[in-house]
Amino acid sequence: MSASEPSDRRTGRPDEIKAVPVRRPGRWIAAAIVLIFAASFARTIITDTGTNKGFQWVWVGHYLFDSRVLHGVWTTIYLTFLSMVIGVVLGIVAAVMRLSPNPILSRASWLYIWFFRGTPLLVQVLFWYNIATLFPTISLGVPFGPAIVHEQANSLITPLAAGLLALGLNEGAYMSEIVRAGIISVDEGQTHAAQSLGMSRLQTMRLIVLPQAMRVIIPPTGNETISMLKNTSLLYVASFTELTYSVTQIYNVNYKVIPLLIVASIWYLVLTSILYVGQYFIERRYGRGFTRSERASMRARWLSFGGGKQRR
Amino acid sequence: MVTWRKSLLAALLLSCVVTIAACGSSSSSPSSSSSASSGSTSTSTAAPSSGTANAAVAKLVPAALKSKGTLIVAADASYAPNEFIGSDGHTVVGMDADLSKALAALMGLKANVVNATFDTIIPGLASGKYDMGASSFTDTKAREKVVDFVDYFSAGTSFFTKASGGTSVSGLADLCGKSVSVESGTTEETDAKAQSVKCKAAGKPAVNVLVFPTQSAANLALSSGRAQISMADSPVAAYQVKQSNGTFKLVGQPYGTAPYGLALPKSANSAPAVLAALKVLESNGTYKSILTKWGIESGAIPASEMKINGATS
Repeated sequence: MSASEPSDRRTGRPDEIKAVPVRRPGRWIAAAIVLIFAASFARTIITDTGTNKGFQWVWVGHYLFDSRVLHGVWTTIYLTFLSMVIGVVLGIVAAVMRLSPNPILSRASWLYIWFFRGTPLLVQVLFWYNIATLFPTISLGVPFGPAIVHEQANSLITPLAAGLLALGLNEGAYMSEIVRAGIISVDEGQTHAAQSLGMSRLQTMRLIVLPQAMRVIIPPTGNETISMLKNTSLLYVASFTELTYSVTQIYNVNYKVIPLLIVASIWYLVLTSILYVGQYFIERRYGRGFTRSERASMRARWLSFGGGKQRR
Repeated sequence: MVTWRKSLLAALLLSCVVTIAACGSSSSSPSSSSSASSGSTSTSTAAPSSGTANAAVAKLVPAALKSKGTLIVAADASYAPNEFIGSDGHTVVGMDADLSKALAALMGLKANVVNATFDTIIPGLASGKYDMGASSFTDTKAREKVVDFVDYFSAGTSFFTKASGGTSVSGLADLCGKSVSVESGTTEETDAKAQSVKCKAAGKPAVNVLVFPTQSAANLALSSGRAQISMADSPVAAYQVKQSNGTFKLVGQPYGTAPYGLALPKSANSAPAVLAALKVLESNGTYKSILTKWGIESGAIPASEMKINGATS
């Protein structure tokens, strides 16, 4: 806009419009308050340099990359990954069974979901780990017939297998409800259209319904994965060397409880943050074609902070 | 809604919130004192003279503790007969609970025995959460760096295994290549891990040490076969084998006889008072009668061995 010229009274032309960005003092004040609190809180924590009391950051740094801690981190990672894979597969199977027109399948799935959501995960871990008290030997084979595999429970179900069974079966029950929510979120017209094309129920589910259901399934599944990352710490009752247990073993000897718990927390935060990134890319992939939830890019938001163009 | 009605509603809600908060904070004190008083009535039959405060002992009690009036005692109630949960399902009973109540009474305080996982007790003492740890702690030099101990009992470590199909060992050296279940934070855990290092140095297979948060979980692992042997303090092992009705049996020889100590925070300076109270209990026979009540009088120590920080290893 050019600088305003005094209005020409003789021709009656109106003044140039002086366009000023909307002043938003509230934003600046709120931002300043939050930043001041954040800075003073950060200062309190970071300047605590005691070596015997308080945060003891010296010891946090010392143990952050300790070999036992790293071994615990690795164990936590693969436990989370494997039990989520088991959980998601079981969840999809259980959800599809639940929605099946076959009443036996539907009821069986309901029973599985009801039992594994209804008992505490800690109890399930203890049960699977000590399964030999109930079933000293396990045989797999023809029902009411000859056994193909006949083994001691403790050798067939190793501590790792027991942990994965407990975490995986529990996760499958919770995942089945998430998958079911995704499936019923897909418009019924899609199923009708698929059936009118002559697709079988399985084809419909696999090619039409599930891909569209994924968009609704991904965010809660990301939640469950992050939750599973912490649930693996319950395996400490099965004497499993995951992160929390490894940290406990160290502080049992040197009594530096707070620094080591901070070490464990830092690692859990790092792993959770990595999952955030993964979830973002997966959501973007499955959200293709749906524009409703498009948000302004981060750059646009920062640029419009001081006022000016309204954020869409 | 009319403005005055809005402000009246807000005032009512605020007063409700304040009343609930006040009720919440005041109801916690009567419940804790009632649990302490119900505790002392259960021990009055075992130790008739423990109810009254002793003037000489009370003089040594630090002012901070005296003004608080309660001695918060932490015990890991998975270690019968020293500390375990009674038949009412929530009170901690056992030798350590009885002893703590008797000591607190002599000091002019009320004992509140709480259940806590073993490996959280010493950190809890160091952070001021508890005043005393009476949980069959072995007095070791390593632990003395963090807390003070008043020695009050003597016990070794015993091995036990399943009665049928269990593995027999004669001592620590036989543990190479076997799986052992122990409780987290105990000297048994330290000993088993040290033995594993020795086994590997001698070219033998390491000891598979399975560490559990409570002794009950360790016993469960033993009965399910995850572990071949379990280790615990001798009086506890003997009692639990007896209570197991033939599931477990003692094997091998007990080793490493060492004093038990009542753990006290270093900053509280309560060790002299506790030691004086303990010696009073020993002289008037209460100490012996408490131990006899739980069948562990063989671990009693004479007054000359009751001392502060008397670790031998």
